[in-house]
Amino acid sequence: MQVDQKLDCKGLSCPMPIIKLAKTIKKMDSDQVLEMIGTDPGSKEDVPAWCEKTGNTVLETKEEDGAFIFYIKKK
Amino acid sequence: MFKKGILRELFDKLFGKSWPMWLGGILLALLNILLFVIKYPWGASGGYVNIGQNFYQMLGVTSMGTKTIISLHTVAILNIFIILGAFISALFSKEFSIKVAPIGELVKGLIGGALMGIGATIGIGCTTGGFFSGVPALSGGALFLTLGFMVGTFVALRYLLWEMEALPNISMGKSFTLLAGSGKKAGWQRWLGWVLIAVILFIFSNYTKDGSTLHKIVGWHVFFGLILGLILQRSRYCIVRAFREPFMTGESAAPVAVMLSILVALIGFTVIKFFGVGNASETALRAIEMKSVYPHFWLRALTGGFIFGLGMTVAGGCAVGTLWRAGEGHIKLWMAAIGFVVMAPFSKKAIVPFFEKIIPETMRAKMFLPDYLGYTGAVLLILVILLLWYIFVKWNEKTGKCSAL
Repeated sequence: MQVDQKLDCKGLSCPMPIIKLAKTIKKMDSDQVLEMIGTDPGSKEDVPAWCEKTGNTVLETKEEDGAFIFYIKKK
Repeated sequence: MFKKGILRELFDKLFGKSWPMWLGGILLALLNILLFVIKYPWGASGGYVNIGQNFYQMLGVTSMGTKTIISLHTVAILNIFIILGAFISALFSKEFSIKVAPIGELVKGLIGGALMGIGATIGIGCTTGGFFSGVPALSGGALFLTLGFMVGTFVALRYLLWEMEALPNISMGKSFTLLAGSGKKAGWQRWLGWVLIAVILFIFSNYTKDGSTLHKIVGWHVFFGLILGLILQRSRYCIVRAFREPFMTGESAAPVAVMLSILVALIGFTVIKFFGVGNASETALRAIEMKSVYPHFWLRALTGGFIFGLGMTVAGGCAVGTLWRAGEGHIKLWMAAIGFVVMAPFSKKAIVPFFEKIIPETMRAKMFLPDYLGYTGAVLLILVILLLWYIFVKWNEKTGKCSAL
């Protein structure tokens, strides 16, 4: 998968990952892919929920050693 | 073999996916009704104050000390065992790890916690004792406290959004994740969870075995803390979210979950107060009616609520939200807990007297709504407020008029 932008939210807790995600996505172009990494278990539901609400697509999610990784395509 | 499969399935159901927040909301409200019956409705800030006072006592600062030791303070015990309950829950669901946020975030945790310590002592109550219990307890002051929380949350959210643009470095920098629960090496985490449950049940039985009534009551708070912590972590129940989300993402799940909690507790609390459940004599009945009704109507509640609202939004968790996230391993929320514990006794001693001087006594009164509106009127008033709040969050979710992201 081609990743256009990366966002590191490790160590951050709610609501910082979502605020950062929204800000980053805003600055990207349509169809670009963002790789977001976080460690807040809340992100597992919050990130897909926010993407659905805003029309962006979660392409893939992974879990590695306590980190949650999301690949998100901008609307 | 067959039996093991079924139990395994149950375990995975409980600790696989998160529970819906509304389910947590209903369960927490039911437990809150039981807490009322056992002794007093749920609160959290009083526990932070007590732990802080014991801490100052230990350091020899007797002017900020207390006579109640932590092990006999029901709210302090509840707080400690909520952390442990959430810790166990996070271990079971493989969500525990020590999450060290960048330094700027840790400082925000500390400041947020300190603001909560000031707000809770001025406003007399936090989102738990003052709102989650205070509103169903038909307290007039609780409504103003809630208004204060909302305004404080709104202002602090604007700050967070501004910070992200103007000072993005605060939330960037080195972070660490230790002892992560996922992966092959993490089998020990579930075993540790079982060991801790056994230890807590042993403590519970020690308290309740043959001690005094107080010991028995405290013992049950050990048990309730464990259960509350589990429910809080599994449902990620968050009151900050309920106030913040309409102005942030616009989603309504959190506010609706909190409304359900208030509704369920409202029914239980009203029945207990109306019938004076637990006592027969007239004076005792009045004492039951006035539980979770504090002398803060209205300006004192509004002021304290505003400061608390600022703090909980910057910290990312209210008094209880801080506890269960601390149990899950977020060091930022440990900083918030420390800020709260250190600041609350100081505020009680040095800041509250100042506010008591400038706020006239008529604006920090105990206000039991049924005294003015009757029980029917008081309950109706709360229901109308809940309905208006519901209409607002649902309308906003559809239109996105008030949400920033």
